[in-house]
Amino acid sequence: MKKILLLSILAVSALFAQVKEPIEVPYISYEIKMGEGFGAVQANCLTCHSFGYITNQGKQSRAFWKGKVVKMVDHFKAPITDEDSEIVTNYLSEHYGNGK
Amino acid sequence: MERRDFFKKSLAAAGAVSLAGSLEAATTGQPIDGRKVSKISFPEKRALITYSDRPPLLESPRSTFSSVLTPNDEFFVRWHMPEIPTYIDTEAFRINVSGLVNKDLSVSLKDLKADYEQVTVTAVLQCGGNSRSAFTPTAGGIQWGSGAMGNATWKGVRLRDILERAGLKKDAEWIGFNGMDNAAYYETPSFIRELHLDELDDHVIVAYEMNGEDLPYLNGYPVRLVIPGTYSDSWVKMLSKIVVTNEYQKLFFMDVAYRIPDNECECETPEKKFPKTKPITKMNVKSFIGYPTNETVVHNNSHIVVRGVAFDDGTGITGVKISTDAGKTWQDAILDNGELGRYSYRGFRHTFKPNQQGKVTIMSKAINRAGEEQPFAADVPWNHGGYKFNGIDAVTVDVI
Repeated sequence: MKKILLLSILAVSALFAQVKEPIEVPYISYEIKMGEGFGAVQANCLTCHSFGYITNQGKQSRAFWKGKVVKMVDHFKAPITDEDSEIVTNYLSEHYGNGK
Repeated sequence: MERRDFFKKSLAAAGAVSLAGSLEAATTGQPIDGRKVSKISFPEKRALITYSDRPPLLESPRSTFSSVLTPNDEFFVRWHMPEIPTYIDTEAFRINVSGLVNKDLSVSLKDLKADYEQVTVTAVLQCGGNSRSAFTPTAGGIQWGSGAMGNATWKGVRLRDILERAGLKKDAEWIGFNGMDNAAYYETPSFIRELHLDELDDHVIVAYEMNGEDLPYLNGYPVRLVIPGTYSDSWVKMLSKIVVTNEYQKLFFMDVAYRIPDNECECETPEKKFPKTKPITKMNVKSFIGYPTNETVVHNNSHIVVRGVAFDDGTGITGVKISTDAGKTWQDAILDNGELGRYSYRGFRHTFKPNQQGKVTIMSKAINRAGEEQPFAADVPWNHGGYKFNGIDAVTVDVI
């Protein structure tokens, strides 16, 4: 009888979350290189994703970074001005570029 | 000096032209291994390798893969959107089914658990970009090691049963799935996936349980789609909306991302992308060693039990072979009994006794029922998205 009772309690509790209050996703500060154009990167990129998302793409060509910025504007509808797009692309290929 | 440089350059250029326009050889090798786990752990997770916090991107370390079932708190995490609901009201939560159905449904968690046949499937969940760091030149995307995968027993309800309850209209053809994660901007397209009705079999389930527990939030609590045998890009998390249509909707995550060259070798060169692409869909044959790792130090003449996992798209693993002489000779590892089904990892083990001091490399190669086997890492063809790497795994241990 005890066992049955215990089982039914378990069955009921399965309907509730293990976590009953909001979870909190920790904030991690990713290292990023400082330099010309960093302000535009901070203002435009950080709204949607961490710096880790940038630095963990590996060293990439200017064309790659330009393509990423275009993707953010065209596909993800990020409101980045043409001027800032250029600044961000320059910054990324300068600090996370592969020389191409 | 300048002139000589110029001469060298033009020679190089001339040489490149003769190599069918390839300026930089595309190569593959072993993915990056041994990255350290973060000091900070995420909700319901142990500390894992952490590429990003927004959206969360977490990878399991190699040691995770000595177990056949991946513990929930070690299971990798990959989201596309930065805004993940951090609280779910389990009473209010509904999966809404609409579109070309006879009756719109609004399915609560209670309904899901009480009104439908409950089924389980053990299946591997692997990111299409798992092991991407194997590709040179660097392929676009997060430079994952090989820990963007896991294996769990999923419990839930057949998608087909839910669709049957709603009743598909005659012209129904595509099923769109959307989760509750959101972008920072309202205009950003949702991470919607579409599956053709033909792609849906009885193994596709809407799962609310993972290894006997609620899904962790970061793995899609309270319910996610489980599509055994296919890469994880269609396993929509926090699934809240199912829409049936008769026409394919143009979607970024279907039409641009997660695609590979649509040719026999699924390959291309960095300079010349293959124009036609196809979705990554079915997983290829792969194995991965959980123990030992590249940091392992063992004594000479001691017995090492090599342990790892092997899987494919459900065709069925028939063997795993181990080599300790750079692939010249291979020995059969012992496979587990396969009782978790064809979509699960098959665990393997192999006893190895080093008889010489120094470095020794242990390789694993899986083979499936169709006769497909893993190529050497260097023979995996390059693609610009860095998808579907399945090279023979290798760990190098120090014998002292």
